[in-house]
Amino acid sequence: MRITRRSGAFFALVASITLAASGCSGGDSGNTSTGSELYKNPVTLNWWHNANQAGPFQTLWQKVADDFHAAHPTVTIKITAIETNDLQRNRIPAALLSSSPPDILQAWGGGEMVEQVKADYLKDITADTKAEVAAIGAASKIWSVDGKQYGLPFSFGTEGFWYNKDQFTKAGIAAAPTTLDELNAAVTKLKAINVTPIAVGAGDKWPAAHWWYNFAVRECPAAALSDASTKSVFDDPCFVKAGDDLKTFLGTKPFQPNFLATPGQAGATSSAGLVANGKAAMELMGHWNGGVMQTLTPDQKAPTFLSWFPFPSVPGAGGGQNTQMGGGDGFACSKKAPAECVEFLKYIVSPDVQKAFAATGSGIPTVKGSEAGLADPVLQTIAKATQSAEGVQLWLDTAFGAKSGTAMNDAIVAIFADKGTPQGVVDALKKATAR
Amino acid sequence: MTTAEPTVSLADRADARPAGPRPARSSRAARTRRKWYEIIGLTGPAAIVFAVFVLAPMGFAVYYSLYRWSGYGWPTEFRGLENYFGPYGAFRDPIFLDALRNNGIILAGSLAIQGPLALAMALLLNRRFRGRSVFRLLVFVPYVLSEVTVGIMWQLILLRDGTADTVLTNLGLGSLITGWLANLDVVIWTMLFILTWKYTGFALILFLAGLANIPNELTEAAAIDGASWWQTQRYVTIPMLGSTIRIWMFLSMIGSLQVFDVIWVASTPAVRSLGASNSMATYMVDHGFNQREWGYGNAVAVILFVISFIAALLFQRFVLRRDVEGALTRRVKH
Amino acid sequence: MALTALPSTPPQRPFAWGSPITYALALAVAAVSFAPVVYVILGGFRTTGQLAADPAGLPNPWVWHTYADVITQSRFWSQVLNSTIVALSTTLGVVVLGVCAAFVLARYRFRGREGLYTFFTIGLLFPAAAGILPLYLLLRDLDLANTYLGVIIPQVAFQLPLTIVILRPFLAAFPMELEDAALIDGADRLSFFWRILLPLSRPALVTVAVLAFVASWNAFLLPLLVLQDESLHTLPLGVQNFSAEHSQDTAGILAFTSLAMMPALLFFSLAERQIVGGLQGAVKG
Repeated sequence: MRITRRSGAFFALVASITLAASGCSGGDSGNTSTGSELYKNPVTLNWWHNANQAGPFQTLWQKVADDFHAAHPTVTIKITAIETNDLQRNRIPAALLSSSPPDILQAWGGGEMVEQVKADYLKDITADTKAEVAAIGAASKIWSVDGKQYGLPFSFGTEGFWYNKDQFTKAGIAAAPTTLDELNAAVTKLKAINVTPIAVGAGDKWPAAHWWYNFAVRECPAAALSDASTKSVFDDPCFVKAGDDLKTFLGTKPFQPNFLATPGQAGATSSAGLVANGKAAMELMGHWNGGVMQTLTPDQKAPTFLSWFPFPSVPGAGGGQNTQMGGGDGFACSKKAPAECVEFLKYIVSPDVQKAFAATGSGIPTVKGSEAGLADPVLQTIAKATQSAEGVQLWLDTAFGAKSGTAMNDAIVAIFADKGTPQGVVDALKKATAR
Repeated sequence: MTTAEPTVSLADRADARPAGPRPARSSRAARTRRKWYEIIGLTGPAAIVFAVFVLAPMGFAVYYSLYRWSGYGWPTEFRGLENYFGPYGAFRDPIFLDALRNNGIILAGSLAIQGPLALAMALLLNRRFRGRSVFRLLVFVPYVLSEVTVGIMWQLILLRDGTADTVLTNLGLGSLITGWLANLDVVIWTMLFILTWKYTGFALILFLAGLANIPNELTEAAAIDGASWWQTQRYVTIPMLGSTIRIWMFLSMIGSLQVFDVIWVASTPAVRSLGASNSMATYMVDHGFNQREWGYGNAVAVILFVISFIAALLFQRFVLRRDVEGALTRRVKH
Repeated sequence: MALTALPSTPPQRPFAWGSPITYALALAVAAVSFAPVVYVILGGFRTTGQLAADPAGLPNPWVWHTYADVITQSRFWSQVLNSTIVALSTTLGVVVLGVCAAFVLARYRFRGREGLYTFFTIGLLFPAAAGILPLYLLLRDLDLANTYLGVIIPQVAFQLPLTIVILRPFLAAFPMELEDAALIDGADRLSFFWRILLPLSRPALVTVAVLAFVASWNAFLLPLLVLQDESLHTLPLGVQNFSAEHSQDTAGILAFTSLAMMPALLFFSLAERQIVGGLQGAVKG
């Protein structure tokens, strides 16, 4: 809430004295900006993030806001936590359309950010964040458009198989699969001990779609993927091959029955719930899955049997066999947000905050060096895999943009339902981008 | 609702009355003026509120439907009727046509099942017996539940090897078990089941109100004349419920065309995207608004409106006319 | 049929015969209606983990804190208050405006009457979700965003068509003799409306009141867009926030919604007696 003018002047006075006396606390990195107006006037920043789960992650963001406020008392941060899908698809687009969008909003980069920049909704933060971008490295490119930086990622991780070590042992699977053939063998062995090999939240569409994306990354050379993202060209036959691989894999019936009705993360009936409660042995999912599973067990603790391996290589495929698909979360400032917003963004990706983020186990920090703070061994495994990956590819639906993304996902789900064809996915992409 | 009506007109009566203590009647013109004041005064507020908050936004929706608009900024790409009939238009999308088919199934199913069911229940629950109020409450509860609850509830119950499957197996009907929400051929019927569960209460409350409007004297007269309970229902009660039943049919028909909530929460996006359970309204949100194709979404809304309008017109012309006529045409102009 | 011919009769005696059948049928129907709801209520006594591990089971162990968490959240009670204010106001507005309009449409003859009726019923034919966005922008321009009225007035507007469609035949069904008798006795049309017709229409009025109340109580889209301040949030928004902030906490949602439906049911119970006790012997000669 806005501070009244009288008390505002008082706070400003206190702020300048505090700043002079104690210096900056926390990670206010580098230049406190050219604006001489910075921190002079009381501002309220509205911050929308997706840490809707009560837990360490949500607590962290609250602490970050409180600490920043303590360091800069003129800045008050008002948090709204919203479930991630709702936030991304409904709330943020609606808010950007209104006259009062949030100042700090969650941003996932890629094609979505391109659209937002085209409509001039985001603040260009290139000039102020050069140091941070350097500290983060390649991943920050995903949050830039046409060479200009619009957001900063605080978490980035690659996707892989979250699996139940104990069930693997019971099934006689010696080591985590590294090739597709080994994965198929593992599926057979798990079926033999009457465990659902793989859970997939096909009900929400995107968990099923990720299977195709990973096959596409295995089949398609980097150039084909890049042409697809930037030029909407899908002529390379590798995209159809990806669908063929998927169809063959589906033929081995590795998933739980009725997968079309299974949501991905939402509550008790989800695919994450199946793995968390030992009803399925594996799930292909992003790095956040541990946090999700934690809330779905009777004792609210992450299962100890969890381990992780990356998507296996596909024999004879023409793409990168060590390219990892991934994505992350970041924040951006809306166009009219005050300059303090950019400072807050920088604070979020400062090393101390990043280490604290690592400690919550909710994701993998982006700033190099802060992954040392990761306590969860599974996340450490993922971080290592991310860093040693040959290349990193953003989720294809985010990379291709909202319209083609949905059409593509629908076509992939049709393959899962035995109603679509590999060619159908390419056709859907072409149709969506031709409009 | 009433049966025969005398045809003596008010005008005749007025003339037949002796000039008594009543004051001289005002002139015809004054009466007409007064009548119009009453009409405008009584309907005005409702009409204004309605026009501003319902019709105006609808007008905008029609306007938006002629554009290609991603929801950011203002619509600028005029496309005419392309959202409707163009190569990417609604009528060329097989998933939209699936939605049309699903709406048809729900419409026919709702009329055929909910009506007779609610009618039977209303007739039964209209008799006095102990605990009647409690029973009425229990039957109405599904209608009161919010759609979020209904969706979650049924998802849990219809899980594979969940409550529903367990009950069926215990009843020896295990062979009927299928993926209630996953089997693409079955899911629309599951939706119809859930909708029936939820909205029979709505029909019930309408019928109960209609029954309350029937004077006891009529049914008692029939009983005195020796009619059995069933005969009384058949020849007295149900006919008198006629206009209520027809109103309910109208509302059910429109509601079936507009159905959104239950389908949205009880079926997953994947199943909807395959056309197995979607309705025109969920299609509008899935393929229009959620994909930031606001122009397209509004076009689907307009199509839904036109279909509903045609259905309403046909229904009014062929079915409801009886009620309006029966009740009003024997009145006299005044 | 002469309505004055019969003396008023005593209330019906309970049927002696057939009542086992009545009971059995009523029981079956009530069971099917209510059993899933029992499931919801019981679900609130479990944790989400329990639900994930064993969806069909009974609470084991019985967990009290899910319900307790919901009740002790101060936001829950403020949401109940907001929902109540909005729902009661909407109901009042709908019934008042609706019955006036329905009265005119039912008992007056004038040119354009059917046109006016069609004007109102058009509102039923348009999906609410489509008009929401322009409506929101309109409300903002009228400075009604983020206020109770910003939700109440559009809800009244949306509920009017249904109300008029239901009330009109009820009001039209009253025989002309009633009206004539009143006019002869020196009343004018409006006092006929106010003194005679309205009390007689109680079952219908209560019915539309219940429907309006339930519709408002469960309304989600409009409050979602209009009410930004959390202090103004209604219960359906509360469920959404609750579920979103508790990571799709299924058990919590079940507990929350079990509690949330109580007031609406209460309203129905109170109203239902009005519908029942409506017209017994009221039409006397």
